[in-house]
Amino acid sequence: MPRLPLALLIIAAMARFGMAADFNSQAKPVFLARCAQCHGAGTAKAGLRLDSAGGALRGGTDGPVIIPGQAGKSPIIARVTSDKPGEMMPPKGPRLTPGEISALREWIDSGAKGGRPEDERDPRLDHWAWQPVAGMPTPAGNPVDHFINARLKAAGLSPAPSADRRSLIRRLSFDLLGLPPSPEEVTAFVNDADPQAFAKLVDRYLDSPRYGERQARHWLDIAHYADTHGFERDQRRENAWRYRDWVIRAFNADMPYDRFLADQIAGDQFRPGDPEAVAATGFLAAGPWDFVGQAETPSPVLKRQARADDLDDMVTQVMAAACGVTVNCARCHDHKLDPISQKEYYGLWAVFSGARRGDRPLDPKGEARRDDERKALQAKAHELRAAMARLDGKGLSLADAVGGGDGLGSGTRGAGINPATGRKSTTKAGFISGAVANQYRALGGLVDGVVIPGGGDVPVSSTGIVAKSLPKTSANAWDAIRNGPVNQQRSTSIAGTAYSGPGHDILGLHANAAITFDLAKARATLKADTLRFTAMAGYGGRPGDNSTKADLRVLADGVEVDRHLGLNPASGPLAIDITLGPDKRFLTLVATEGADGGIGHDQVFLGDARLRPSKTARPSAAETANRREVAEALAAIERQISAIAPSPMVYAINGGPPEAVRVLKRGNPEAPGEETAPGALSCLKGARPLEATSDMGDGARRAALARWIAQPENPLTTRVIVNRLWHHHFGAGIVGTPSDFGAGGGKPSHPELLDWLAGELVRRRWSLKAMHRVICASEAYQRSSLSQDPKAAMADAGNRLLWRQNPRRLDAESLRDAVLATSGQLDLTPFGPGYRDFVYQEAYAPIYRHIDDDSPSLRRRSIYRFVVRTTPQPFLTTLDCPNPANLSPSRTETTTALQSLALLNNPFMLRQARHFARRLSRDAGDSTDGQVGRAFALAFARAPSRSELDAAMALVRARDLPELCRMLLNASEFCHVD
Amino acid sequence: MSIENLGRRRWLRQGGCSLGAMALGTLLERDGFSASPSAFAPRAPHHSPRARAVIEIFCPGGMSHVDTFDHKPELEKSHGKAFDAELGKQTFAGTGGTYARSFWPFRRHGRCGKAISDLFPNLARHVDDIAFIHSMRNKSALHGPAMFMMNSGFILPGFPSMGSWVTYGLGCETDNLPAFVVLPDIRGLPPGGVLNWGAGFLPAVHQGTVVEASGTREPIADLFPPERQGDEAPGRAFLRSLNASHAEARASDTRLAARMASYELAARLQMSAPEAVALDRETAATKAMYALDDEDIGPFGRQCLLARRLVERGVRFVQVFCGAENTQARKVRPNWDSHEDLVRDHGYWGRVLDRGASALLADLKSRGLLDETLVLCATEFGRQPFLQGGNRGRDHNPGAYTAWMAGGGTKGGTTHGSSDDLGWQAAGNPTYSYDLHATALHLLGIDHEKLSFYHNGIMRRLTDVHGKVISEIVA
Repeated sequence: MPRLPLALLIIAAMARFGMAADFNSQAKPVFLARCAQCHGAGTAKAGLRLDSAGGALRGGTDGPVIIPGQAGKSPIIARVTSDKPGEMMPPKGPRLTPGEISALREWIDSGAKGGRPEDERDPRLDHWAWQPVAGMPTPAGNPVDHFINARLKAAGLSPAPSADRRSLIRRLSFDLLGLPPSPEEVTAFVNDADPQAFAKLVDRYLDSPRYGERQARHWLDIAHYADTHGFERDQRRENAWRYRDWVIRAFNADMPYDRFLADQIAGDQFRPGDPEAVAATGFLAAGPWDFVGQAETPSPVLKRQARADDLDDMVTQVMAAACGVTVNCARCHDHKLDPISQKEYYGLWAVFSGARRGDRPLDPKGEARRDDERKALQAKAHELRAAMARLDGKGLSLADAVGGGDGLGSGTRGAGINPATGRKSTTKAGFISGAVANQYRALGGLVDGVVIPGGGDVPVSSTGIVAKSLPKTSANAWDAIRNGPVNQQRSTSIAGTAYSGPGHDILGLHANAAITFDLAKARATLKADTLRFTAMAGYGGRPGDNSTKADLRVLADGVEVDRHLGLNPASGPLAIDITLGPDKRFLTLVATEGADGGIGHDQVFLGDARLRPSKTARPSAAETANRREVAEALAAIERQISAIAPSPMVYAINGGPPEAVRVLKRGNPEAPGEETAPGALSCLKGARPLEATSDMGDGARRAALARWIAQPENPLTTRVIVNRLWHHHFGAGIVGTPSDFGAGGGKPSHPELLDWLAGELVRRRWSLKAMHRVICASEAYQRSSLSQDPKAAMADAGNRLLWRQNPRRLDAESLRDAVLATSGQLDLTPFGPGYRDFVYQEAYAPIYRHIDDDSPSLRRRSIYRFVVRTTPQPFLTTLDCPNPANLSPSRTETTTALQSLALLNNPFMLRQARHFARRLSRDAGDSTDGQVGRAFALAFARAPSRSELDAAMALVRARDLPELCRMLLNASEFCHVD
Repeated sequence: MSIENLGRRRWLRQGGCSLGAMALGTLLERDGFSASPSAFAPRAPHHSPRARAVIEIFCPGGMSHVDTFDHKPELEKSHGKAFDAELGKQTFAGTGGTYARSFWPFRRHGRCGKAISDLFPNLARHVDDIAFIHSMRNKSALHGPAMFMMNSGFILPGFPSMGSWVTYGLGCETDNLPAFVVLPDIRGLPPGGVLNWGAGFLPAVHQGTVVEASGTREPIADLFPPERQGDEAPGRAFLRSLNASHAEARASDTRLAARMASYELAARLQMSAPEAVALDRETAATKAMYALDDEDIGPFGRQCLLARRLVERGVRFVQVFCGAENTQARKVRPNWDSHEDLVRDHGYWGRVLDRGASALLADLKSRGLLDETLVLCATEFGRQPFLQGGNRGRDHNPGAYTAWMAGGGTKGGTTHGSSDDLGWQAAGNPTYSYDLHATALHLLGIDHEKLSFYHNGIMRRLTDVHGKVISEIVA
């Protein structure tokens, strides 16, 4: 090893001349010779790279290996000097020589100084996509054709001629609108003598409301949008569609693309009062969400894992959609191909660590105003209802009080109170673990407060009354105390009476939880001193849960006055009837887990729980006379209340305090490393860095990322979107991997064109419609796809140079829409909740059974389909509609016999064939050749040839018109754009 | 064994394909077209395979290993003792109760002397053909994600299932049936639904095709029009000529020829699929062996019998589900998820699995098919060695469970890996789905590290970045 003595000589020389020991001269030769095979650029075992000073000082997944100035404490020295298997490095082969070791020691002890900056440069930073967009001057003529034709010329290829007008209008119509042109449009365009006819057509289509519907399909693929959560308990998102509608409207309005992106990431921050800006943030919540892992499981380990997957999904989606980078590859280790560190990946987590998916009011300010109006009316209604209750002798409903009401019917069915926090709960919740027992949450209404009883001294009132007789519990709890059954409650009947039915109510209680009612408030309403508490107690678990035992106790001022222990399905009807004298101030209901341990299915419920006067007070004559007036006044106010529409909601982001984010070793949520601040990528040249710090709240962090992404200097954002537009006009992008511009993705076929388009987007104020015009105006777009030029086919079979247009097949949704348009059945009603082509059945794991019938709502455009994650639509899936579990930057295309069967035999197709036939009779009368002509015009935008006409008429004679229609809808010509 | 010696297994080199998964390249080659290499083209195996087909029996809900295949004498000693509460943090639905020994006694069986619980009297007769893996673990304790992991190697939805990877890698043997067939339980789909046999980001041709096992409906969706309408021939002929002249003007677009061929294949499927699921030519003895007439265990027997018939006819991968999703409360749970009454639910499903799986093994063996058919039995996780609260059931246990393989080149009568003394955590050679999948692929002639597909920046594999072939259980 001649290198070593030399290195030592140099060190000696440097020491003599007072030079510090240096990485390049001293440590690097050792590292390269002995370590870099495993800890180099391509390998980086344990995340450690020793081929650069930066890598060595950064350390690996297990932390730093070098402590500057302290060789004795540096793990790397311990490893190279060890001889223990599993610890020693290198793990195989000869040990480091004493000379090598002392070279490393000296370098570390002298401060571990780095090499020269140019030696530290990561060559991966030179990748084309990270470089600033080149300022390409706009060439003369059509700029797109300038770049395309230059490449063709260089390759010695000549471009195909222009497509005929019939092909052009059909192509443009499918590209921009996702629908076939009507025969009348085709005729008008074919006969239009204006040389600007095509440009006019482009303008007209860009102005069509169908344009936004078509473009939204592409964007929602990237957002993996669906209308349910996904995973095992695939619940519905009733308000997700408002984001879908926002996307359609944004495209139709030609919202500048920078704002389009920024609003989807942080619109609620940029314009908090604007409902549209709130709807935009549905983007961040569009992906799947695991109810069981996020809410239901008691296990903190599983919860952390679910949240980790949740954040990964958000970060991956945003960065893939907007920037075409695969940051998710850096979840477990630094990105293997691109200069994206694991720390940067978790910096992106920190941007979103305050964001949680959920329903959110579109208009929070309006909602507060409406709340005030509602409250004022409720107060009036309360007085009237109290009067009615006294007149009728009905008591106060405790379930109604739990639902936020006054006991007289103003509460919300299904609403409840979280026993751990005292907060209102409007949606099903799951396991509450780690709650503090015996922490009374005072609420100060008819419901005085709630507590999770843990045994010992349990506080049960806002005045400090303590119950001493309650058993010790695990302090775990489930869901909330509800005005209605608790989550997963199976039984709502007692002794044959269904308390979920009209005229009854349920106070749902699940161990361990207690709730206290303020009798003083009840007395004030009922104007009675002595009260009665009456209810039927029942068990809400499933019939098979006979081994669980739940306990119910009733306390008055903390002292037990009634108890029903070991409730189970076999428990008979348990009537409760307790008189509460004027000295009693508080009534408390307590559910505990019983003696069996565990709270599974410990569901207690009370049917028709009422506080009522012990004696029904005799109403005065005047009151009786007033009864009708009171009832009418109450009805009027209730009408007023229900006329105040609730704020529309959107399934989007509910911001909260950001959680601290730590770099997770090997991506494992149970192995947190150093804490990390919000950040983005550092490899983009010329882009301003992310301006966010750890002291920022959720919204400010997201706003910072939105600005970082939507800055014109971000070289990815503009390139990625123009490439997506190109992809949808040509069937292939200039970069073939539309969501991966990194080193693992494709290289641009026309880099200058890509940069010119990216620059043009900014010059045209981020207008996507302008970019469509630019692309569609080119000869390249308008070329025929039929050319069989053998020279070109030989030189460029894949048509990367675009010597002709690419023939394309219709995607699943376009095909379905085209079938409906052709049969005359398409319902163009835009916007609103999606159409549901399934029957929904409530179950632990909800069941969606797809149906197919002729109802008008099932004839809407496919973009308005209510998309169920776990149960993909079978017909569309067969036709390659992707599952929204995946981000889909492009559609895969397969050819299978199952597709042929679906197109031939699916009831939808057969029904539309019959509609198509009826339409032909309507449009073309009784003559078969007229019907055939019309059929070809509708299906193919052209007239039949003589032989086609003969064959079609023969088929109609042999079978019938619907059979002809069925076959036309199966034709390759119908299913392909060109 | 070299590939040349496998003459009778023509499928090996052919790498052909089917209706469900029609490989464009192969199809066009047969039709005299030249095709450029495409993502759909099946690949030759990486090494000479031992198995030509797979039947995977999947038991959703979580089968208890300590009550079935994984004998734990120490657990018998700890029976009735309170378990260490620290462990409870991993439980899914409730608190832990006391340790509980198997609800069924274990007995030794076969030449290998493997101890199997009395839940499986029939399956126990086959232990000398079975290789057990007792050290399975799952990264999730939740049904949905855990199902995805066992079927696709990832706990998130959207990754290709094992069956789709296999058909992507090998294509299939028949032109008349789909390459990857799924036979769901008659009660419904398993947790996670159709995503369990999805193709993820692989071309959709590779997704599993559900074949209706009940016999009361058509075996494949849209196989025929809902009402037979009359002679299909004139319409087909018209369509063929229309498509032919369309394709003629676009001769370089090979997809159009493939599309035309797919209609011919569809017609063949209309002939072959009903034949494949028609059981009328099976003997009375065969029907009795699968207990087809039994109300409870007959439906699963029918699924197993169909699996054999499909494999006989060249289907590459058949997935048979023994249980459905947790839906409505019935007299027993609709799958193995025995939280409250293990004797009731495992007792029921144990009878079901025992009869169907043992009949399948016996049937395959008697027909000489077991050598070339890998039978794999899996579940998403095991169950805890202690009771769930005061119940007579057990909670989920992703820390240890058992999977087994038989036939297709596995070494029977062997055991790989172990759980700890109580069956709580995998102890010896712990593994996830990775090693199981790597081994299954190996038996099919596939190197799991080479079977990959580019998606969003990564070359994805069934085994992620893990997996090693369990050579001890390979014959």
